[in-house]
Amino acid sequence: MSQQEKFNAFASAQAEFDRVADMMNLDQGSRQLLRQPQREYHFSIPVKMDNGTVEVFQGYRIQHNDSRGPCKGGIRFHPQETADTVRALSMWMTWKCAVVDLPLGGGKGGVVCDPHHLSPKEQENLCRGWVRQVFSNVGPVRDIPAPDVMTSSQHMLWMLDEFEALSGGHYPGTITGKPVGMGGSKGRTEATGYGVVYTIREALKELDLLPEKTLASVQGFGNVAQYAIELYHRMGGRTVCVSCWDQERGEAVTFRKADGVDLEELRAMADPFGGIDRTQAMEKGYEILPGDAWLSQEVDILIPAALENQIRLDNVNEISTRVRIIAEGANGPTSPQADAMLKDKGIFVIPDILANAGGVTCSYFEQVQSNMNYFWEKGEVLSKLDVKMTAAYYDVSNLARRQDLAMRDAAYLLAINRVASACRDRGWV
Amino acid sequence: MSDRKCETLPPFRRGSWDGGEIFTRMGAGGIGGKAAGLLLLQQEFLPRLDRDEFPELRISLPRSVVIGTSMFEAFMDLNDLWELVRGNPSDQRIADAFMRAHLPPELVGDLRDLISQVHAPLAVRSSSLLEDDLDHPFAGVYSTKMIPNNQPDTDSRFRCLDEAIRFVYATTFFASARDYFRATGLDHRQERMAILIQEMVGNRHGDRLYPEISGVCRSFNYYPSGAARPTDGVVNLALGLGRQIVDGGLSWGYCPVYPTTPPPFNDLGDRMYNTQKKFWAVNMGTPPPPDPMGETEFLVECDLLQAEEDGTLDRSVSTYDAGSDRLRLGMVGKGPRILDYGPMLVGDTLPVNTFLRQAIPLAERTMGCPVEMEFAMDKGPDGADRFCLLQLRPMAIPRGESKITAVEMNEPDLILASERALGHGVKEGIRDVVFVKPETFDFSRSQQVAQEVDALNRELHKQGRPYILIGFGRWGSSDPWLGIPVYWGQIHGAAVIVEAPLGPAGPDPSQGAHFFHNLIAEGTFYLTIQGRGTDRIDWDWLQSRPVVSSGRHTCHVQLETPLQVRVDGLAGFGLVRQEDER
Repeated sequence: MSQQEKFNAFASAQAEFDRVADMMNLDQGSRQLLRQPQREYHFSIPVKMDNGTVEVFQGYRIQHNDSRGPCKGGIRFHPQETADTVRALSMWMTWKCAVVDLPLGGGKGGVVCDPHHLSPKEQENLCRGWVRQVFSNVGPVRDIPAPDVMTSSQHMLWMLDEFEALSGGHYPGTITGKPVGMGGSKGRTEATGYGVVYTIREALKELDLLPEKTLASVQGFGNVAQYAIELYHRMGGRTVCVSCWDQERGEAVTFRKADGVDLEELRAMADPFGGIDRTQAMEKGYEILPGDAWLSQEVDILIPAALENQIRLDNVNEISTRVRIIAEGANGPTSPQADAMLKDKGIFVIPDILANAGGVTCSYFEQVQSNMNYFWEKGEVLSKLDVKMTAAYYDVSNLARRQDLAMRDAAYLLAINRVASACRDRGWV
Repeated sequence: MSDRKCETLPPFRRGSWDGGEIFTRMGAGGIGGKAAGLLLLQQEFLPRLDRDEFPELRISLPRSVVIGTSMFEAFMDLNDLWELVRGNPSDQRIADAFMRAHLPPELVGDLRDLISQVHAPLAVRSSSLLEDDLDHPFAGVYSTKMIPNNQPDTDSRFRCLDEAIRFVYATTFFASARDYFRATGLDHRQERMAILIQEMVGNRHGDRLYPEISGVCRSFNYYPSGAARPTDGVVNLALGLGRQIVDGGLSWGYCPVYPTTPPPFNDLGDRMYNTQKKFWAVNMGTPPPPDPMGETEFLVECDLLQAEEDGTLDRSVSTYDAGSDRLRLGMVGKGPRILDYGPMLVGDTLPVNTFLRQAIPLAERTMGCPVEMEFAMDKGPDGADRFCLLQLRPMAIPRGESKITAVEMNEPDLILASERALGHGVKEGIRDVVFVKPETFDFSRSQQVAQEVDALNRELHKQGRPYILIGFGRWGSSDPWLGIPVYWGQIHGAAVIVEAPLGPAGPDPSQGAHFFHNLIAEGTFYLTIQGRGTDRIDWDWLQSRPVVSSGRHTCHVQLETPLQVRVDGLAGFGLVRQEDER
C-alpha cells in the first residue's frame, strides 16, 4: 500500500474536527455543515502545449466555509494532488483564519500536474485556464487564491491578469502572493517565519524563559525556517542545528554548530530551495549529521518547519528532556500519537494552525492593501502582524489555561467555535 | 550615569500602559542620558522626597518607555545605514535614507501595542549614550519630536510614532551632531541612540495642548544678579512647552532664594519687552503638511492672547495698569499681561518655588554634581495640579579649566582682571578687541560711540570674528549719561563684554543687567571692572597693539597671538591673557 493510500488527509482532518466537536458538544447541524466543504469545483483545463498538442489537466477549487468572510487559500500544482487533499487543506484554512481572527473563510485549490515538466508558456496557459474555469466563483469578495506548493508569484500574476481581463477592471485583491510593486505586500516573505517566532516569544514569557538564554534546533531551511531563525536570533536566541533536504543525495541532512549557526553564512551556501551545500558547510566548521538528528538536540526549542508527519511515535522519544517548546512552522509535522506523548513529556506545543498563521495573516493584509490600492510600509505590516499573532496566541493560551487543554486542542476549539458561531449568527444552522 | 542598561527597567508589557509600571523598556542595551536621569528621579529622588509636604502639588513622573540602544544598532544593521553615515552625507540624504528604512521587526509590535493604547500626545526624545555626559553637555545636539497622537485610527498614530523614532535616529548623524563631536574630540562612532517616549504633560485647549507652566531649574547660576549667589541656583519658567526655555526663548528667570526679586530689568517697559509673549503648544487640530524630518512638524507657536482665552494665565501673569503705571498681580482689568509669575511667586498662590527650593539641593545630592531639572505642570483629570518631573541631568559645564585662584588674579601678565564676572568657562582664539578710547571718552558723546560700535560689530560679525568689547559705564543704558546706549543687536557679535569704570565719580556699574537675557542665551561673558581688589585693565598694552581701524571714539585692534578669556562662575573671577603665555 502506498503512503498516499495509507494516509487520507481529509479523513484525518475530519477526525480531528470530530474530536473537537465532541469536546465542545457541537450541535448536529453545525457538525454536519463543517465536516464537509460548502462548495467544490472540479474541472478540466485544456492547455495548448508548446509542441502543438493539447493536454487536459484536472483542476480543483474547494471552498470549505465562508461564514466569516471570503474564502482564502493557496493553489497547489502537484502531480499527486487529490480532491481529498484539497478538501482537507481547505478545512485547515478555515480553522487557521479563524484562530487568528481574520474575517476570512477557508478554501484551497490545485491542479494535478508537475510544473517541472511544463515550459513557462505552458504554465501560463494552465494558470489562465484555471481562472477561466472558476472565474465566476473566485474574486476579492468570494474566494482569494494564493501561491502554495509549486506555485509562485509569477503564477499569481498570470492568474490575476486573466481574472482582470475577464472582468474588465483592475481587482488586485483577487489574488495574494503577488510581487511587491505589483500589488504584493511588504513583509510577506518574512511573515510566516516571523509569525512562528512571535508565538515562541510569548510562550517563552509564559514559561519564564529569556530568549537570549535559549537554544533552538530547526528542521528545514526554506523561507519559513530562514525567517524564523532570523527573528529568533534578533531576539537573542541561538540556533545550533539546521536540517534540510540534500537534492543530490536524495536524503535529509543536518548541520550543527555548537556555538550557534551563522544565518547569513548558511544563506550564502544554500540554493533557492533551501538546500545547504555540504562541502562548504564542512569547510565552515559545521558538523554533518543524519537528517533526523535535528530532533534529538539538547535545545530548548524545536522548530519543525519543513514537512508534515516528522515527529512520530517512532522518534518522539529521541527528543531531549531539555526541550520546552515545539513550534510547528510546517503544517501537520506532529502525528496525533506523538502529540499525546509530547503532552505527557510536558513539552509546550504551539500548534501549526496558530504558529504558522503569519503567512495567511499577511496575505489578508495584502488583500486589504490591494482592495484599497494603498500599500503600507514594512514596519506597519510587521507591527500589525506581531499584534495579530500575539493576540491570537493569548486567545488560545488563555482558553487552554481556563479549560486545562493542550494548546492544539484550545486552538481548534477556539477556531471551530468561532466558525460555528458565525454559521449560527447567519442563521445557517 | 548614561551607561545604565535596559535590564534595570521592567520590560514593556502589552496592554498595560495605563495600569502597569510607569517606566518600562523595549529592547536591550543602554538607555542613554535622558532615560538614566529619569530613572534616577524615579528610583532615588522621589523616594527621598517628602511629597506630603506639598499636598497642593501632585508630584509625579510622566508615563515613559525607553527603547534601548540595541534597537538602534539593529535598525542601522537591518537597513545597511552604517555605510551611508560613514560617508558624512548631507542631512537631506540622511533624512531620505532613514525615512525609507524600517524599524526592527522585534520592536514594531510593541510600538503598535503602545500606540493602540495611548491617544495622548507623546514626546519622542533622544537619549544617547554620550548625551548628558558630565564633561560634554549634549543639550540641543539631537532632536525631540512631539506628536499629537490624536488621530482616530491606530495606523496613522503608529506611522507618526514610527517616523518620529526614525527622525530622532537620523539626527544622531546630522551635520550639527558631527560638528559637535569634532569640536569636542569625542568619537562619533561610539555614539548609540536610545529613545525615550513620554506621555506629554499638558491640557487641551481648543486645538492646542500645552502645560500651564514649564520650567528648568539649575542648581548653579553662572549669571547671578543682585544679592543672589551662584550656588543659589536659578529657575526659568515659561508658559507652554519647555522648548521655549531650552531653545533660549524669553522666559522668567529668577533665583529660588529670592523669588520675589525680578530679573534686573531697566524699567517697567524693559520688563514688558523682555518677558514671554509667545508660547509653544502641540497642534491638536488640522494636521499640518507632512514634514517628518521637521522637529516642529506638530508644534504651533501661539500668542499670549490665546492663552488668555484658554484661561491659563491666572496664576502666571501680572497686569499693567496704565493709570498707576504699575503692575498688579493676576488678571486684573484689561491691561497688557506680563508673564512674571507674580501671583505664584509674590502672591504665593502655588508652592512651586517652595518645592523647588527643596528639590534642587536634593537633586544635586542625588546626582552628586550641579544639576539641571526640567518640569511641567498641568491639571490632572481630577483638577488637581500635576507637577511632573521630566528630566534630570548634570549641568552643562562648559569645557576647559575655569577655576581661577586669587594668586592667578594677581599675576602680572594679565591684560584684564575682574572680580565681578558673569558666565563660566573658557573662550579661546579671540584675536580682536574693540575698545572705547579712554583718553577721549566723555558721556556727552556716548550716542556717537554707540554708532561707531555698531559699525564695528556689524563688520566683525559678518566676518565671523568674535571679539572683546571694552567700554565705559553701563552698556545698554537708555540714559546716555550713564553709559553707552546700544541695543543688543549693535553688540551681539561680542564674545566678551567689559564694563570699565571712568574714575571714582562714574555711574554704578550695570553688571550686565541691560542684556541679562541675551547674555545667558548667548553664553556671553560680562566682566565688570570696578577698580577694587585685583580689578584692572592694561590700557598701555591694548593701545600698543596693531590697529585695524581707529575712529574718533573707538579703536579696533587685531592680535597675532590670540587671547584666552576665562571666567570662574563660582568665584565670580574673570581674566584675559594671551594664549601662548602659559
